[in-house]
Amino acid sequence: MNLKVWCAALICGVSVSAICAADLPFDKIVNAASHPQEWLTYWGDYHATRYRDLNQIDDANVDRLRLQWIFQTGVPGAFETVPLVLDGIMYFTANNSSAYAIDARSGRELWRFQYTIPKDARPCCGTLNRGLAMIGSRLFMATPDAHLVAIDSRNGRLLWDSEIIPANGIYGASMAPLAFKDKVVVGVAGGEKGNRGLIDAYDAATGKRAWRFWTIPAKGEPGNETWGGDSWKHGGAPTWMTGTYDPELNTVYWGVGNPGPDLYGDVRPGDNLYSDSVVALDGDTGKLKWHFQFTPHDVYDWDAAETPMLLDLPWNGKPRKLLVQANRNAFFYVLDRVTGEFLMAKPFARQTWAKDIDSKGRPVKNPGVEPSAEGTRVCPQSAGAANWMAPSYSPATGLFYFNVREGCDVYYSSPPVYEEGKGFWGSIFRGETGERQWGRVTALDPLTAKTKWTYKLYQAPWAGTLATSGNLLFAGDEDGYLMAFNAKTGELLWKINTGNRLATSPITFELDGKQYIAMPSGSVLLAFALPDEVVAGKKK
Amino acid sequence: MRIIILVALLVPPLAAAQTASDSLTKGRALFRSNCAFCHGATATGGRGPNLLGQLSHGDRDEDIQGVIRHGIPGTGMPKFRFAPDELRSLVDYIQSLRKGKPAPPPPAGDKAAGAKIYATHGCSGCHEIGNEGSVFGPSLTRVGAARSYDYLKQSVLDPSADIPDDFQGVTVVTAGGHRYTGVRINEDTFTLQLRTADQQFHSFDKTRLKQLVVDKTSLMPPYRFGDDDLKNLLAYLSSLRGPVNANTDTRHATEVR
Repeated sequence: MNLKVWCAALICGVSVSAICAADLPFDKIVNAASHPQEWLTYWGDYHATRYRDLNQIDDANVDRLRLQWIFQTGVPGAFETVPLVLDGIMYFTANNSSAYAIDARSGRELWRFQYTIPKDARPCCGTLNRGLAMIGSRLFMATPDAHLVAIDSRNGRLLWDSEIIPANGIYGASMAPLAFKDKVVVGVAGGEKGNRGLIDAYDAATGKRAWRFWTIPAKGEPGNETWGGDSWKHGGAPTWMTGTYDPELNTVYWGVGNPGPDLYGDVRPGDNLYSDSVVALDGDTGKLKWHFQFTPHDVYDWDAAETPMLLDLPWNGKPRKLLVQANRNAFFYVLDRVTGEFLMAKPFARQTWAKDIDSKGRPVKNPGVEPSAEGTRVCPQSAGAANWMAPSYSPATGLFYFNVREGCDVYYSSPPVYEEGKGFWGSIFRGETGERQWGRVTALDPLTAKTKWTYKLYQAPWAGTLATSGNLLFAGDEDGYLMAFNAKTGELLWKINTGNRLATSPITFELDGKQYIAMPSGSVLLAFALPDEVVAGKKK
Repeated sequence: MRIIILVALLVPPLAAAQTASDSLTKGRALFRSNCAFCHGATATGGRGPNLLGQLSHGDRDEDIQGVIRHGIPGTGMPKFRFAPDELRSLVDYIQSLRKGKPAPPPPAGDKAAGAKIYATHGCSGCHEIGNEGSVFGPSLTRVGAARSYDYLKQSVLDPSADIPDDFQGVTVVTAGGHRYTGVRINEDTFTLQLRTADQQFHSFDKTRLKQLVVDKTSLMPPYRFGDDDLKNLLAYLSSLRGPVNANTDTRHATEVR
């Protein structure tokens, strides 16, 4: 029975719910906040607030959450996906380029798609995948060998397959793409392999490339002078995480990764634009509108791949379109996203590298913090005080929530030789012996960067957060706990050991009047909800 | 035969342009960032053994390469994934340090007498050699291969100088006032699992504890010995190079660049 027939049969049935492969118009994503029962993009919406106005599960009943179903992918390896939910169907990926559609009520599989990496392809950076983008009836997935593929959401059939760039051991892609209007935007990984970063847009219907933005300007282009000699050719600046999008400004915001070689900067004198920057690109043409560089001439591997969250808040009393980012370099930044103007940067974690951030947003470095042959201890660690794990923002509390990593590294440096397909690091970093790294779930006021509450975690986390109007903040940790906090106070209200380190972020959705929380852990996807009697009691 | 020739042809030619001194510079950088951590900046030993003088696993280039690539089971020496040219540079550098350096004299002292001291001081109440003794403290089955002589000496006289993370002591006081001290087997944000000296596991909800202290000192007390007894004990410990399961007891190095 094909899905269409099944769908019709279900609608004809009496007490069964309709389950139809759906169509996702652009407008619906633009107005994602009005559809809190769905989860429509990697971030839930275009602005990456990861906030849902769903409050069936709240601070008074969250401790009654119960497991509803488990979906076993059977796929070993990192499971870092964020599922999309539309009209009762959940779409997600797992390691090794598999994609799934499952019934979000029951956890039962509807179809499965497997992308096969050609035998002669040479992916740069492993096989993990962080999820799908959707628009219309198409789903989009990036692949380890740097392709972008479109899948028919109705049956999991491959629609088109476009090579972004030959992988050649230096390129790959793992992020969920970003889809808007008639385009799909995607970036690449491989900043440790001496590649040259890019952001591409493809026609959603045909897979034909619409535009490309190189994150390192070529000879003769503005910005190339920030790379000494030919260093720009292998300077990295990858684009390995999903960007955000402002439909009103038709602007794409994308975090750019580290320059290479990571820890040895002498071979690339200059600021190394647009590494460690956020770039604002015209959605139709890919033309650069503005850029802001967080860490000029980085020698610590501090990618700016962290979420460029878009907030509309009063700044000094006036409504303003802002872009905020908790950067890997331990500073929280606020920019004007129309102009790129720097507004504020404040440290949110232990850091020893910068004395100050000046009025233009440029860091003033402390002396003696360069990586060296003997090793130099610097905080934060190379993995950063924040990283790609998703933060969230609740308009109900006015707070920005994120997982902080507290740690320091000893950074070693030595001149590397570029060889295609090999690591281009310039030596290594290493945790200081006897100095444990740890973490914090943190709520801060994005207008002042002042911490409102913080909850200490035993290990530095690699999982993100989710805020809801039930006055809840969900977060994951490195020991496998999915936790719920009172969003206002930071009081821990619920936790469960999921049995595996958590390396992505929880989502929420609502179906048939029931709110769910879903979280990937290990190789399984877990779905939680309240018992029926609690739901019924709440509705009274 | 044909297959062998074909394989030989597929092996890429050595990078002829790389000079010997370039290779040593590269090897030195790799040593400092990957090896000095345990073997000391000058390879004279630290947590790990002295690399000058006689090496327990052979001193030919291929022996050293093998140790780096495969690790040494039952010791702290992990497996490293270096590219072939990096591995060559690293071994060249180690050999350059070793050149002309005399082997340190074998530890003076009487092994048999040391074994008696080990037995009479109740060491097996916490340590295991082979399958004999307690699993509370670190196994000493291969400690002679795993640690330098100086490190062993320090471990006997001042065990708190370097506490391996796997044997961190933790003391808790429960709501009921019971006190437990043991080796931290696992800890997370909410729970703690200890192994106490009687080799029993204990599980705690951290939120319900009155107190949780990560001990600053080692669970092993410092020992005072006369010169001869100390030498004999160290000679015995240095001689412990027993077998372990090579397939299960080697880990991969992390953070290798």
